[in-house]
Amino acid sequence: MDVISSLAHGFAVALQPYNLLACFAGVFVGTLIGVLPGIGPVTAMALLLPITLSAPPEAGIIMMAGIYYGSMYGGSTTSILVNIPGEAASVVTCLDGHEMAKQGRAGPALGIAALGSFFAGTVAIIALMLVAPTLARWALKFGPAEYFSLMVLGLTLLAFLTHGSMAKALLMACVGLVLGLVGTDAITAEERLTFGRLELLDGLGIVPVVMGLFGVAEILANLERRISREVIKAQIGSLWPTRADWQASKGPMLRGTILGFFVGTLPGGGAVISSFASYALEKRLAKDPSRFGKGAIEGVAGPEAANNAAAGGAFIPLLTLGIPPNVILALLLGAFIIHGLQPGPLLMIQNPGVFWGIVASMYIGNIMLLVLNMPLIGMWVQVLKVPYPILFPLILMFCIIGVFSSNAAVFDVFVMVMFGAIGYLMRKFGYEPAPLVLAFVLGPLLENNLRKALILSRGDFWTFVERPISGTCLAIAALMLIIPLLPSLARKRQAIALDQE
Amino acid sequence: MENHTKGLGNAELWGGLAWLAFGLFVTWQGWTQGLGTLQEPGSGFAVFWTGVIATGLAATIVVGALAAGGPSLASLWHDTRWQKVLLVMGLLLVFGFFFEQIGFIPSSLVLLLVLMRFIDPVPWWQAITVSFGAVIGMWLLLSKFLRIQMPAGLLAPWLG
Repeated sequence: MDVISSLAHGFAVALQPYNLLACFAGVFVGTLIGVLPGIGPVTAMALLLPITLSAPPEAGIIMMAGIYYGSMYGGSTTSILVNIPGEAASVVTCLDGHEMAKQGRAGPALGIAALGSFFAGTVAIIALMLVAPTLARWALKFGPAEYFSLMVLGLTLLAFLTHGSMAKALLMACVGLVLGLVGTDAITAEERLTFGRLELLDGLGIVPVVMGLFGVAEILANLERRISREVIKAQIGSLWPTRADWQASKGPMLRGTILGFFVGTLPGGGAVISSFASYALEKRLAKDPSRFGKGAIEGVAGPEAANNAAAGGAFIPLLTLGIPPNVILALLLGAFIIHGLQPGPLLMIQNPGVFWGIVASMYIGNIMLLVLNMPLIGMWVQVLKVPYPILFPLILMFCIIGVFSSNAAVFDVFVMVMFGAIGYLMRKFGYEPAPLVLAFVLGPLLENNLRKALILSRGDFWTFVERPISGTCLAIAALMLIIPLLPSLARKRQAIALDQE
Repeated sequence: MENHTKGLGNAELWGGLAWLAFGLFVTWQGWTQGLGTLQEPGSGFAVFWTGVIATGLAATIVVGALAAGGPSLASLWHDTRWQKVLLVMGLLLVFGFFFEQIGFIPSSLVLLLVLMRFIDPVPWWQAITVSFGAVIGMWLLLSKFLRIQMPAGLLAPWLG
């Protein structure tokens, strides 16, 4: 009953005209950036973060969340019609979705992707609504040691799951931590790593750093090579799947939803991993696995359900513990902080309107997404035809506007350009930016909790090991660090390692 | 062209060395900032230890690069249009220097036109239409609807 009355309060917040508009803007932009290859949800969220500053906190966060789960929907359109993933979580949809399109079945592929996404998204919200309050009550018992260890686990898991060398991923996490510590020390008020620049007293802004590492660097990497995009020219036809399609898809959809939701809640987990895991699961369970990669609808239904369920599940650690499980939610944490809110166990007590408003807006957003992705599919196909030489200057201009308007400082534009160059070189040399950004956002929180835990324990490091939750997190993190040293396990890690963005 | 090398052109080695220098610098910065004590960690405590870990990780990358080699620096840019990357970087820097003096509308128009005409050229009519439409549209959206002030620069007498 408590949950139902809270949800009713959430709907009262989410259905306010301004919040409805924010929700629509979020899912619309999310679908758009999901459709467009070359710009991901991280860049889009960083881009729109300054715009949300003039809006009330609920509206700003509702819009940012809408971009995230909206991009999961939109990504499948590009995968199916162009064979280029609109965003990373839709990589696996290319395999069977595009094959279906080539066989003249683009309609059912797009339809099952949208309907599977809707089903999984809705189930994930219900689960979020039921799990979050319990977990938040439990999280109230967390002290600085638990928070520190949980963040260490999150960073280690992300490094573990990042494609390529784990040493490089961990190194990037260290770089992110250092960048997060630039500015005035919150405890002693001493300046750190500011080199006398007044602009750095408040630290490096999340918007220019993220925009540089993801937005500008992505454009520079794309400019290096010629991008050719060929949209399927055949008629898309009816989007409604046939009875046989439904029959084949219902199991994968359900399994994808459950798997995706749980993977999404894990620190370091996310939509990309869950979609790959779902594809692997369906292939393993299939009577004829050879159909996969040749247009099997199960290869679309499962992963699309999984990545949308993961997007919903990922909100649990953020909203209940205040710890983002992946880089996209790290940016959402930044948005919360900028709006003067602290996600965590107290959020639903101190700001029930925000918490339940976000949850309720997700129901509404999912319905909006179904409308945007089914009847309006033709519009997204037209968007796909915009040539990249026109698109990239516009994205660059939006990046500049987004960065400048966040602080009204040209200094931030230079920071963005510098991080664009660094991000480009990082890609060239095989260093992933995702651990850097997550650590950058977590850096101040991690340091704060480390120092608090040491002060409270009078300098006793055993406090991190003795406390059960903290000790368990550190033990798992240590296991993750040991695995790459064992050759047979290291190969398994490479098999599941993924590019997070 | 040699793609894999253990010599001085080894990209892994140079990448590792760059981060090694970064790690050492951070460690030194943390040290000079003051470590404090375990009972009361100072401002440099986390910076110092993060620097130490980064240095250690960078050292393993350097050792690995020396032992196993890596892709050559030249191979990373082989058959790519790296000149366009440099050009865009240069344009963005120039744009940053003149953004406030010239103003949002003129500088963005010039940037968009140059990018559309000289990086991957599109027809003039498309470049002009998209540039003017995007810049004017964005300015109206930002200043009139979202109330976000962009530098007026040369157009200040007219835009206020």
